[in-house]
Amino acid sequence: MDELAIEVKDLSFRYRQTTHAALSHVSFSVPKGSFFCIIGGNGVGKSTLCNTFVGLIPHYFLGKMDGEVRVNGQSILDQSIADLSSQIGLVFQNPFNQLSYTASTVAEELAYGLGNRGVAREEMVKKVAAVAKLMRIDQVLDQNPLDLSGGQAQRVAFGSTFILEPKILVLDECTTQLDPMGADDIFAIVKRLNHEGITVVMVDHDMERVAEYADQILVLAAGSPVLQGTPAEVFGDPRLAEFGVEPPAYATVTQALAQRHLIKAELGVTKEQAVALVKEGLNHAH
Amino acid sequence: MRIDLQDLHFGYHPEHEILHGVDLTLAGTDPIAIIGQNGAGKTTLVKQFNGILTPTSGHVLIDGQDVTTQTTAKWAAKVGYVFQNPNDQLFLDSVRKEFEFGPKRIGMAPAEIKHRIDQVADLVELTDELDTHPFDLDDTQKKFCTIGAIIMMNPDVVVFDEPTCGQDVHGDHLLNRLIRHLTAAGKLCVTISHDMTFVAQNFKRVIVMSQGAVRLDGTPEAVFSQTAALKTCFITPPPLTQLAQAVGFTATPFTTDAFVRAFEAERK
Repeated sequence: MDELAIEVKDLSFRYRQTTHAALSHVSFSVPKGSFFCIIGGNGVGKSTLCNTFVGLIPHYFLGKMDGEVRVNGQSILDQSIADLSSQIGLVFQNPFNQLSYTASTVAEELAYGLGNRGVAREEMVKKVAAVAKLMRIDQVLDQNPLDLSGGQAQRVAFGSTFILEPKILVLDECTTQLDPMGADDIFAIVKRLNHEGITVVMVDHDMERVAEYADQILVLAAGSPVLQGTPAEVFGDPRLAEFGVEPPAYATVTQALAQRHLIKAELGVTKEQAVALVKEGLNHAH
Repeated sequence: MRIDLQDLHFGYHPEHEILHGVDLTLAGTDPIAIIGQNGAGKTTLVKQFNGILTPTSGHVLIDGQDVTTQTTAKWAAKVGYVFQNPNDQLFLDSVRKEFEFGPKRIGMAPAEIKHRIDQVADLVELTDELDTHPFDLDDTQKKFCTIGAIIMMNPDVVVFDEPTCGQDVHGDHLLNRLIRHLTAAGKLCVTISHDMTFVAQNFKRVIVMSQGAVRLDGTPEAVFSQTAALKTCFITPPPLTQLAQAVGFTATPFTTDAFVRAFEAERK
């Protein structure tokens, strides 16, 4: 059996002072080295789930938690947020919620986590320079993080997570303020890290991107898992619309073409698959 | 309602110019999208439309009147700007107060304010949240609260700054419905967006900015078919357009139906 990066068993959570459960009876597991996506409408519990992986729930956001979350085989209840942060890194949806608010420059912001780990200064300087170059923020290293645009701040948020070299990366809608090419840039880096063995858990509304990267997709609705499978399984499921999710444009169009017998009866969920199906269909009758 | 930008230059610092001579006319009611890379100058441009920022040189004319002749507070009755980050705009302790604030400032009659609150709350789906603190709303609702607060003033032009960011399918549909409603009511909607599918499907005119200048300006078909120029502006067309381009279609489809028609035309 594959080794598991994250294991969630019958997890339920209700935030303090609220009456309804944010998560209810959620179970799934993420094998090490996989690219795992969580999708669903707004407010279905995706971010709440991400917060449990890094221990922000239940250690920081209080509430009633039942069930179990294990990261690298160990329960989050037995580890502090600081312990967990050496194994798993979360990039927040809103970068301004992630900033330390203690750093006066982007360079200090990037170095913040390293400083907490007691990394030597020379090493720190080297790592900051490398990450800044990777994230293309080397031009703003001397600026105050609070003066950055949303897109730049998201790059800094990524950088300050990458710099700690976590084995598991959790990305919670972390490119919403980036232009499409900027987002592609970042996902090229994420994909490379995944190929190098880093486990990636991603929450995103961009279904074309999810279809391209995910090994497995979990669909949440009202705090509960309703569907899980490969991109082809999930995006081919007729119940998807009920769960407030639209499949990638490539899946919808290949489905429409297949229904009219214009292409093979196959679902193309990625651009690459759709291109192959359309090209084949142009040359052959179906 | 018409906004003219004439040789507009702007920089936050004298030695660092952001907008390098923009000439543009916005008129009529066909919704306009402004797209471009982060840092291209989109937000800086639209903030000139009601004097939140004023040109370093050149002119902004609203119905022929120079924008610098009166305050933003006055222009806001004609040209409303919805901030990119809701937290930059919201500051009162209930949705209702957010909705009342602008109209009161521009001297709208109390009866009309009351009437508009019900109408606008319905439009942005916040009828049940009028007494909620804006910071207790979820992200989509918060965004629609800022949109509602601007629409309350009944401006002729509504400028949305990245309204799609972080929204789910439902939020996109709601926004689509809202833009159609405003257009039908004779308003001009101008929207900055990174969501190319949303742009292609909802707007009649697309303006592409790059490095502080307008690079392309035309219908979605005209703009998204210019693959080489788009690349230099760091824009990727919507998925179905990319697919059509990858298989060599002559058409520039944005929807499934349009793609199927293009497929049938190509196969003949």
